Amino acid sequence: MSDLENRLVGCFQSVFPEMTEADIRNASQEKLDQWDSVAAITLVNVVEEEFSTQIDYDLLPNLDSFAKVLEYLTVDRGLS
Amino acid sequence: MNVTEALSILRTRKPGCEPFGVLLACGFTPLHLKTLMQAHLQQALPDRSVEIDTGLFGNLVETIDAAVDSHRHGALVIIEWSDLDPRLGYREAQTWGHKVSGSIVDTCRNALDRLARSLEAMPATIQVAVSMPTLRLVPAFSVPGWDTGAHELALEELLAAFAARVAQLPHCSVLNARWLGEHSPQNGRHDAEADLRFGFPYTVPHASALAEGLTRLVLPRTPKKGLITDLDDTLWHGLVGETGPDEVSWDLATNQQLHGLYQTLLQALADSGVLIAIASKNEREVVNQALQRSDLRVSPASIFPLEVHWEPKSTSVARILKVWNISADAVVFVDDSPLEIAEVSAVHPGIECLQFPQRDNAAGVRLLERLRDLFARGEVSYEDSIRLQSIRSSAALRAEGGEVANSESVLASLDATIEIDFGAGAEDRRAFELVNKTNQFNLNGRRFQPADWAADLARPGAWLAVVSYRDRFGALGKIAVLQGRVLESRLYIDTWVMSCRAFSRRIEYTVLAELLRRYSPSEILLEVATTAKNGPLRSFVKSINGSEPTSACAIPPERFDAACPRLYHRVVVTGEAQDV
Repeated sequence: MSDLENRLVGCFQSVFPEMTEADIRNASQEKLDQWDSVAAITLVNVVEEEFSTQIDYDLLPNLDSFAKVLEYLTVDRGLS
Repeated sequence: MNVTEALSILRTRKPGCEPFGVLLACGFTPLHLKTLMQAHLQQALPDRSVEIDTGLFGNLVETIDAAVDSHRHGALVIIEWSDLDPRLGYREAQTWGHKVSGSIVDTCRNALDRLARSLEAMPATIQVAVSMPTLRLVPAFSVPGWDTGAHELALEELLAAFAARVAQLPHCSVLNARWLGEHSPQNGRHDAEADLRFGFPYTVPHASALAEGLTRLVLPRTPKKGLITDLDDTLWHGLVGETGPDEVSWDLATNQQLHGLYQTLLQALADSGVLIAIASKNEREVVNQALQRSDLRVSPASIFPLEVHWEPKSTSVARILKVWNISADAVVFVDDSPLEIAEVSAVHPGIECLQFPQRDNAAGVRLLERLRDLFARGEVSYEDSIRLQSIRSSAALRAEGGEVANSESVLASLDATIEIDFGAGAEDRRAFELVNKTNQFNLNGRRFQPADWAADLARPGAWLAVVSYRDRFGALGKIAVLQGRVLESRLYIDTWVMSCRAFSRRIEYTVLAELLRRYSPSEILLEVATTAKNGPLRSFVKSINGSEPTSACAIPPERFDAACPRLYHRVVVTGEAQDV
């Protein structure tokens, strides 16, 4: 697992502290009741703080799983 | 604090702690503000579990009104412009301009009056912290941004009147706008993106600053009790031993006004019950002459004791602490010399040491503000006003009786009266203050929030005794508080504190004797818990039971009768005890 992925797991753990690492990697808004609109905004904020980046709120509906957030950071933002 | 740090604080809080319930009342979606608020409170209350309830979304007044019958410990009321008139918020504004300016002012006037009435109706046991609108006004009025304009000034006038009205309520405090301005610059407060998309108007840094300020208001820190000051280049400019009493200075004419302002602040602190002492390496005679100067802004009568000699400052501090009978962590030491500060810090690690700056007025002003913050108290009680007098009385008592002040002849000659008031309630602020600041004669170190205190006093069989003392040296005011229950034939004492100023007078024995006389219990159960500082309480129990308690213990009346020393007090009982 890359350093970036570890840090992203940490972000998810901040917002969903009861989840295991394995659960987080498979997490999606559809499968996780706690991932409501408030949690989504909190998560974006935590990710912004962790990676010192700004996430366009228009993309929020698309960032609905751990995999998609990871892809956004690595592919769209070019972070590693 | 950012959101990640806030979540981390909340994630690592201790499990199983007593809840601390807070209402967060605001008219917008609280989002991160709730998380940050909870984290700031949790940091300040590590032994509680802070729980935040946000009430009704979009309706500030109804949220506050719903809190009236609750058992919450605190309420945080965050007012924004849109709560006063939706036209003053970016989300719902439909009409702006000169045609509606007057009506906006009228709507705000009515809304503020309604809010004030809701806050006035809140129970006094709920500590309320109010934040006035913190964001810039929307461009609703037809004036440029650099011109305040008549309507904005009218709104400011309404807000000031509202703030003054609610700040008069004993359970309400209003966040200082200038303090917030220093911690959260105006141009970094509004998050327009989050406001228009999610209805959350604040940036994270602004929400955090607001949360910090409101936490300070709803959980005020215990003010320091005493200040020990140096003289040369601190209380005044110059070395009095070198130049003589007439040449040291503290005024504008000599460009040493900072020292004069320091004297002015010391007098103000002394007037509010703060103890002031001097620790100076000098000749006593020359210092006495300087302290007699008529232009000195702090009265020598407000300073006690004076430690003026050539011994180490730490020795002076130790003697002063002994006379005051308070611990080092309740005291601030001010000196211009880093060496002296290091020496005092090393010997008294709990004391807060502040360096008096030389030739730096800006640093000097910051020092004055720091001292104000460390010693500030909301109101000056009768006990505050007589504190120095009672310290002097205790010193006189010790002088008469030697180190063991409670010698029989001295105690017999005191002409002492103890008044025990069984009619006081949760609203007795001095009793509440004593319970929350007393360390040494303290049954178990338990601290209370106003709502907890009121709840304890409302338990079945509950009683409260507030003890005052006076003798031929003067009055000490309210010096002890006991709170407990009578259940079946047992007398439970759950809280017992006594000011250190009242030690060595056998007051504790007289109070216990009066409780035995009043309730005739089969036994007294003391809810003792060992704390780092409550040795005097445990020694008292040992004097009766023969061994120092480490946890809750019983005192049979016959054992007390056998161990109780001779008592010389006149006892006056007032108030009515609650039916039990």
